[in-house]
Amino acid sequence: MATTAPTFLQKPVDPARSNSGRSGPSALSRFARRTVFIIGGIVAVALIYTAVKAMGHATGGTWPFTSMPLPFSTDDVTMPPVMDIVLRFGQPQRTGDPKNLTMWILEAMLFTFREAFVGFIIGIIIGMAIALIMLRTRWLERGVMPWVIVSQTVPLIALAPVVVAFGNQIKVPLFSWQQWMSVALIATYLTFFPVAVNGLRGLKSPTPLALDFMRTNAASGNATLWKLRMPAAVPFLIPALKLAATASVVGAIVGEISAGVRGGLGRLLIDYSAQYLSDPSRLYCVVIGAALLGVLFVALINVTDLLLMRNRPREAR
Amino acid sequence: MTTADTTTPAIEIQGVGMVFNGGRPNEVTALTDIDLTVQAGEFISLIGPSGCGKSTLMRIVGDLETPTSGAVRVNGKDPRQARLDHDYGMAFQQAGLFDWRTVSANIELPLELMKWNKARRQTRSSELLDLVHLADFGAMRPWELSGGMQQRVAIARALAASPGLLLMDEPFGALDEMTRERMQGELVRICAETGATVIFVTHSIPEAVYLSDRVVVMSARPGQITDVIPVALGERNEDTREDPTFFASITAVREALRGAPVPAVTGSNSVDTS
Repeated sequence: MATTAPTFLQKPVDPARSNSGRSGPSALSRFARRTVFIIGGIVAVALIYTAVKAMGHATGGTWPFTSMPLPFSTDDVTMPPVMDIVLRFGQPQRTGDPKNLTMWILEAMLFTFREAFVGFIIGIIIGMAIALIMLRTRWLERGVMPWVIVSQTVPLIALAPVVVAFGNQIKVPLFSWQQWMSVALIATYLTFFPVAVNGLRGLKSPTPLALDFMRTNAASGNATLWKLRMPAAVPFLIPALKLAATASVVGAIVGEISAGVRGGLGRLLIDYSAQYLSDPSRLYCVVIGAALLGVLFVALINVTDLLLMRNRPREAR
Repeated sequence: MTTADTTTPAIEIQGVGMVFNGGRPNEVTALTDIDLTVQAGEFISLIGPSGCGKSTLMRIVGDLETPTSGAVRVNGKDPRQARLDHDYGMAFQQAGLFDWRTVSANIELPLELMKWNKARRQTRSSELLDLVHLADFGAMRPWELSGGMQQRVAIARALAASPGLLLMDEPFGALDEMTRERMQGELVRICAETGATVIFVTHSIPEAVYLSDRVVVMSARPGQITDVIPVALGERNEDTREDPTFFASITAVREALRGAPVPAVTGSNSVDTS
């Protein structure tokens, strides 16, 4: 860490701060700096975790110099040692299993990602469609928005079996409804909301001046939408997409659990928590895998962000 | 700059009135009984105190507002038809360029909306960049340019489709005095080259006098035309700003704005922008 410190402390010469706004090395140095911070953060969390555990062990489960008990247990079942968790990744899922745990988790991540990503894409389409409907008139906005909000108050666990049951009823020639598609739809349910809300704000963001300009040039409604409102909405949509990405992973995992779909992270979470007492580290590994999936998904959005916003002023980024 | 010898006036405004929120407690009479005829190729400034309805009048001509009474004809047509025929170019106090487009693409936007093909658009935008002296900046983004440069791009964009009629609402209002005078010079040159009719809203007396064939003086509450002052300055150049006729016209406009004659002011005092 000491050798890398000067690189990210050189603020005055950081080309990203200069006026030109776009340059290759700046993005790279930003990336390097961020990586250092992320790794540092992970190390810090592991150190704090270990320190808390050591403290609990030393005091016998109370706050230091008091007889007040800690609000949680620090024994090896509740808080397995960091090294146990790290090493657990390299061991077989259960004794005699030829695949190690990492393979299981990676496969589950891929499976869950497929559901989450399909749900995310459908969510963007539905969210934008709702935003466009609300954009049409004030009374449509007033009429539709409450339903959009109400939709998010329905607990996912209540909704999931309904979606699964509906999916199983679908009978179309040359197409068989798969269980994971129901899960994708459950993920959609969490995804469309931020896209609809922020999308509407973005579509409404052009100034009266810009709208007057389009009108003066006899622009059609379509031209105004595609040449003004949509590009103006992009900066508003990026944060919505980040929210939607993490929400779609959560939605997929919860959906897997309530729909009883095998192969994804949700199933592993259920199985491993059932056997928690005999193998606590394994559950931590899956949780780390689930978090990692969310992070990777958001990273994918960040790349999209950089591509879409590369030509915008810095303040907008 | 002088009146072209066409029979149809560029703009005919007859008995136009504008009432906002009519019939409600917050009713506002923005304009009453406006009559104005503008010949093709003429440069007209609208000047008056805030709230006198000069921007509203310009917006009515541009079909951005519909008057509550009276009639407006633009090139012998309904303003709506004139708008659909792309007869207008418009520039505002803020450049209002689109961040996500390059300077060239901003200028080409009106042409895109008219379904010009790409090659034709590019030829036209490079012509216009030459016209506003920004030939090397076409590939840059608007936010990489200074305020004055952005305003020049906005004017190039307004001129893109060679509109017969330019509507400008304080386009130089946000610029510093030096840039402003240079931009005025460029606008005079561009108008001479394109022969466009211009309606120009401004708060600055010298600017109105320097640019216009006629200065339309308006008063507030209710907004109406109190005076139309012809400016006989002939060909404009930098010496025009030192010309006694220039100062005399400024004085005339100022008196009209005050609504009563005031003692003649000396030259050095009268160049301030009110």
